[in-house]
Parts: sequence; C-alpha cells; structure tokens
Amino acid sequence: MSRSRRHRLAVVVACCTVLACGARAADSAASAPDLPPPAKIDDLDYGDVLFHFFQDDYFEALVRLEASRDMARLGPHAADADLLSGGLYLSLGMHAEATTIFDRLLAGPVPRSVSDRAHFYLARIGYQRGYYAEAWRSLERIHGVLPGPLEAERRLLAANVLMAAERFGEAATLLERWSDDTGWSSYARFNLGVALVRSGDPARGRALLEVVGSMAPGDEEQRALRDRANLALGFTLLQQHDAESAVAALARVRLTGPFTNRALLGLGWAEADANRPERALVPWLELREGRVLDAAVQESFLAVPYAYATLASTGQAAEQYRLAVAAYGAESVRIDESITAIRSGGFLDAILEATPEGEGVGWLWQLQSAPDAPHTRYLYHLLASHEFHEGLRNYRDLRIMRGNLERWSGSLEVFDGMIEAREAAIADRLPRKARALEALDVDLLERRHAGLAARLAAVTRQRDVVALGTVEQARQWQHLERAEARVAALPPGDRRDALAERVRLLRGSVLWDLDAAYKLSLWKLKASLGETAAALDELRRRRDLVEAAAESAPRGTEGFADRVVELARRVKRLQPRIEAAAAAQERLLASLAIRELEAQKARLANYGMQAQFALAALYDGAVAEAAP
Amino acid sequence: MNTSGCGRGRIRLAVLACAAAVLVPGAALFHSSAAATEATPDTRSLDQDVQGLKKELIDLNRDLFRLEEELLYPASTQVAVFLSVNLGTFFALDSVQLRLDGKEVANYLYTDREVEALHRGGVQKLYLGNLKAGEHELVAVFTGKGPHDRDYRRGTSVSFEKSVGAKYVELRITDREASLQPEFTVRQWE
Repeated sequence: MSRSRRHRLAVVVACCTVLACGARAADSAASAPDLPPPAKIDDLDYGDVLFHFFQDDYFEALVRLEASRDMARLGPHAADADLLSGGLYLSLGMHAEATTIFDRLLAGPVPRSVSDRAHFYLARIGYQRGYYAEAWRSLERIHGVLPGPLEAERRLLAANVLMAAERFGEAATLLERWSDDTGWSSYARFNLGVALVRSGDPARGRALLEVVGSMAPGDEEQRALRDRANLALGFTLLQQHDAESAVAALARVRLTGPFTNRALLGLGWAEADANRPERALVPWLELREGRVLDAAVQESFLAVPYAYATLASTGQAAEQYRLAVAAYGAESVRIDESITAIRSGGFLDAILEATPEGEGVGWLWQLQSAPDAPHTRYLYHLLASHEFHEGLRNYRDLRIMRGNLERWSGSLEVFDGMIEAREAAIADRLPRKARALEALDVDLLERRHAGLAARLAAVTRQRDVVALGTVEQARQWQHLERAEARVAALPPGDRRDALAERVRLLRGSVLWDLDAAYKLSLWKLKASLGETAAALDELRRRRDLVEAAAESAPRGTEGFADRVVELARRVKRLQPRIEAAAAAQERLLASLAIRELEAQKARLANYGMQAQFALAALYDGAVAEAAP
Repeated sequence: MNTSGCGRGRIRLAVLACAAAVLVPGAALFHSSAAATEATPDTRSLDQDVQGLKKELIDLNRDLFRLEEELLYPASTQVAVFLSVNLGTFFALDSVQLRLDGKEVANYLYTDREVEALHRGGVQKLYLGNLKAGEHELVAVFTGKGPHDRDYRRGTSVSFEKSVGAKYVELRITDREASLQPEFTVRQWE
C-alpha cells in the first residue's frame, strides 16, 4: 500500500469515527512518515532500513537505523537517516523524541530538501498537539515543493491548520487554487465544507459538500468520503428545512457502510419533515432491525412510533412505544453486564483479539460485528472516544513490547549457552596448547645459534680456511697432518726429504682449494646463519602470538558474556515496568469504558422516559377522545 | 392529535440533535489535536510513561541487534548478500535461490509488499552468514515473470575473495534498455 494511500486511510478512519459515533477524531494517531524513492542508495545498510520502512515495519526499521548509526554505517545518508528516524519516532507516537531530532537536524547545515521535510514534520506534530501557530510557522518555512505525496499532504495540513485557527477564508482560497488527482483535495474540501457550515456560512459549506458528495465513486476510501459528505450535507439541509434536497443527499449514501445507520435515520427525518411519515417508516423500520447498542438504532425505536402516531395509527404507535421501553430496558441490563465484565479485568485483551489486523478502510466499522460478548459488545462505541482509542493503541504497543522482550529473553539464553560452549572449547584446547608450547625450547635453539655464530666469527677472524672445508677436504687435511707427522719421525735423508716435499705439495694443493672456496663457503654460512636467525625470530613471534591468543580468548568471550549479562539485566528491568504500564493502561481504559457505558445507560434511561411519556400522552389522547 | 404536536416539536429537536452530532464531530476532525490535549492528566502521564518505555525498548533492541550480529557473525568471518532492484520494469521478481560454494543458503519467496519495497529503493539483506578467508563462489538464481509476462529464470554467479573484514555482496536487478531485457549484476563491497 502506498504511503499516501495509507495516510488517507487514516483520515477516513478518523472520519468514520467522528461521524458514526459522534465522538472525537483519532487522526492524531500514528502518522506515518513518508519518503520518496531515493535516486540512489549508496549504503546497503541504509537500504536495508528502507526495505523495512517501505513495508510499514516502522519498529524494525528504527531499530536497524539506530544500530547502523551506532556502528557508523550510514555513510552518505546520515542526514536522510536523521530525517527518517524523526519520522519513525513520530509514527510510533513519540512526539517529544521526534521533535528533538527535527530541531537538532535544523540547527545544523542541511540541504533545503531535508530542512523542508523537517519543517513539514514539525508542522504535523504542532497540528496534532494543538499548537496551530507553531504549526503554521513551520509550514511557512517550507520553501520548495515537497517530494511525492508529501506535497499534497502539506497542502491538506496547511488547510487544516488554517481551519483549526478559524481562518476559513484563507483555507478556502488555498483550496480553490488546489486541484490534484490524489484525492487529498477532496478531504480538504470536505473538512472546509463542514467548518463553513458550522461557522455560519452554510451556503459555501453546502456547495463544497455537494462537490465531494457528487464526485465519481472511485476506490473504497473515496466512496466512504462521498458517503460522509452526503451525510453531512443531508443533515445540514435538514437543519435548514430543505427536506427534499436532504432526501436526495442522504439517498446517495450506500446501504452498507459506516454511515448507513445515520443516513437511514436522517432519511426518515427528512421524509417526516416533508410530511411523508409513511415513507419515513421505511428507513426507520429497516434501521430498527440493527443492533440496539447503535445510537441511531436506539433513536429509531422512538422514531417508528412517532411516524405511526403521525399517521393516526395510535394502537400501533402505543405498541411500538412499549417495544421501545422494553428494548431500552433490555439494553440497559446488557450494559450492566458489560460493566461487570469490564470490572472483572482482561477486557482489553478481548478487545484486541476481536480487532481486525491492520487499519484499512472501515476497520473500526467492522468492529460493530465484534462478538456479542459482554467484554466486546460496546467495543465500536468505546473506540469512538479519542482518549480510549489512543489508550488502546498504547496497550497494544505494550503487548507488542512484552512479546519483543520475551523473544529477546529467549535469545539471550541461547547466546549465554553459546558463550559457555565457546569457553568450554577454549578450556579444552588450552592444556594441549600449553604442552605444545612447553615442548618448544626456543631458548635452547637460540643458544645453539649463538654458539655457531661465535664459531663463525672466530673462523673469520683467524681466516681459518680449513674450518670451512668440505667433509672430504677435512678428511684429506687430517690425512696430510698425520702423514706430515710420520714423515717428520723418519730418519733424515733423501727419502724423508722427498716425502716431506710431496706432503708439502699436497698440503699446498688442498690449502689452495680450501682458500679458493673459503669466501663462498663463508658467505653461504653467514647467509644460512642469518636465515636461521630470521626463522628463530618468526618462531619466537608465533609462540608469543599463540600465548597471547590463549590469554585473550577467554577475555573475548568474557566481553560478550558481560554484554549478555548487562542486556539481560536491562530486559529484566524493563519487563515489570511494561507490565505495570499495561496494568495501569487497562485500569484507566476500564474507568473510561465504564464512564462511557454509564453515559449510554443514562441516555437509554432518558429515551425510555421519553417513550413512556409519549405512551402516556397517547393514552391521555385516547381517553380524551373516548370521553363524551 | 396532541401527540402529533408534541412529536412535531420533538422531531425538530431530534433533527437539530442529529445535525449537531454529524457536524460537531466534523469540526472535531480539524481539532483532533485539541482532542488529544483534552486527555485527562492520568492519560497524559501514562502516555508519557509509555513513550519513555518505547524509547528504552528501541535502545535495548539496538544494543541487542548489535550483540547478535557481533556474536553470531563477527566481522572476520561475516558475509552478507543483499538484493536491490533498479527500475526492474522488465522483470517481476518471485523468488531467489542462493548457493554459496555449492551449498544452498537461502531460498526466498517474495510477497507483493516486499517487491514494492524493493522497487521503492529498499535493499533486502537476503543472507547473513560466516565464511573462512579465501576464495568462494556465490550463485544466485532468480525466478519470476520476464518481458511479455513469460516465466523467467536466470542465474548469475561471482567468485570472490573473503579477507579479514566483513564482505558485502549486492545482487542487482536492473533494466537493459537496449534489449528490453532484465539484467542481473553483482557488486562487491568491502
């Protein structure tokens, strides 16, 4: 359902309430924020918020928005997000929070499009709270054209604020210039028409109501508005003794709808006013078949015998008056039953169970057919009271809040179990890690590496080429040393000299080879020692990491565990307060309901007295006629 | 007849009463806010209490939402798959099936309300889960009605590298104006 449609529905519901029940309107309830489709979403988390928002899931959208803001995920949409959060708080009935957000938003540098919408929402809040001057000032600060359906709503709001301030002329001028295809202007014309009638300008008021009452029937909400206009027009004409025109207007009201009973009653009065009591009986008898708890039906019990009396059908009139007295008495007993049931508690839950899901056109009217149980019998009439209606909304919200906390309470238990399992797994792994770390003697390796480095340094210092020879060269060198020793042990002579010379040559040859390979071998050894040092560093780093991980892992879960404990504590603290608020709301609404039902009882008693008085007058008349 | 005269007087009263009943509430429509301010002190006080409780509940839900995400889907392993629609005039979305590394992780059937929310600019968080660092493959299969109201089924896939940070993947349904066909693309976000 589109946003404009939804809001218009709210207006229709308000119309249904005020007209059919003769009570205050309830249009200050949830006023949904509106947003045009954004040209481009540059942040997926903000898009996720909008996904819920566009499905009218305002609570979920607001929670996700606040969480995204908390995690600094809103990116380029921060200003839009502020505006949206204000609107969402407003839709949840949190005027103070919404006002704070819009004021804060307007205190900073924001684009014109954002400030215009913020001013619009502030105007809406001002209007809903009865601060018309402030609302008008906010409207005047809107400089551009609002996006999408908001522009039409702004015009309607402006007209309503002007009318609320009794500036009817300006409202009329505003409406004269306004023509739209969304249907918003029809609501504005209707409102103005009624206001003009009330303010003493019935001619202009009638003309406006005539326009709305004669418009082509479109969808259900337009048909409901049309009925509403025709009803108001019919009674206005009736008041001005234009019975024929009143009949025409009231006949345009549909036979099934929220305004049918009132229209049938008015139609009867119009026919009676036109001296056609026999025709007045038709709608009145039809109406009398309805449920007695309806005010129009109650009146029909008096109207029917009046018509018979007018037709000089005294017997039938007397019978009908007796019927009325009995009906009023029976209804009074039923009201007593309802009062007793309400006093026994639990009636709000019964009402909510009988309340249809959603708030489409006529949902309130549908409650007329709520179960005929003492708890719910007068539901429709009770909901007509603005105070009761708002209170019931609060109670419904509290029930939803209770369910929300119960779900989270279960989740927190699961989280707690998860964290315990993680800690157990960590505790299981820790000893194994400890054993592995113990087996790893990095210090020994480092000492060995240091010894090798020292040896190499000594070799370098002494240029000990032999020390860097290969295994074969070392073996050869040892052979030569032994040969040299044996040659030295020989008796002097040519043979010893020849052998010594040969050993010297061989020694020189090996030394040559060793010397030739020395630099390369030294470089390789130094490189290898360097690699070993690096490997040892890495080993040391990894060991430190493992040790740190072992130490930090329990602390990590403890962080979550602390949060779970803290949040569970908050849930537990909030739950009894919600229960207490729900109980207080129920007590308050019970007292309102009982007050309303007592008033209905008083009205029935009054009707009963009127019927008895008329009956007595009939008898008096009959006696007088029979007298000689 | 006496009663007639008496009734005549009463009928005028009744008509006036009815007119007032119809018209006075009409004015109340304009003054609905005044109606709100006429609430009893008890009602106002309770309403303020309920507003305060709502604020606490929203703050609590915000913190619980964060805890849940950080505990179940830590950034080091988190992967989220989103779905968005840009225009989308050539494709009416019915469902999406999502497979990660060959395993089905989501099979989502859309309501009209959800589709409308997507068309208005909402972005659905279709899947939130955990993956190890490394190479992964995502396959998405879209079903619905294509051009000329014909059944339409189309898949798209992407290989992506999961590193230490959270990984966002966006599946986008757009219009390819040149061929008057829908187009399914994938965009990776870090």
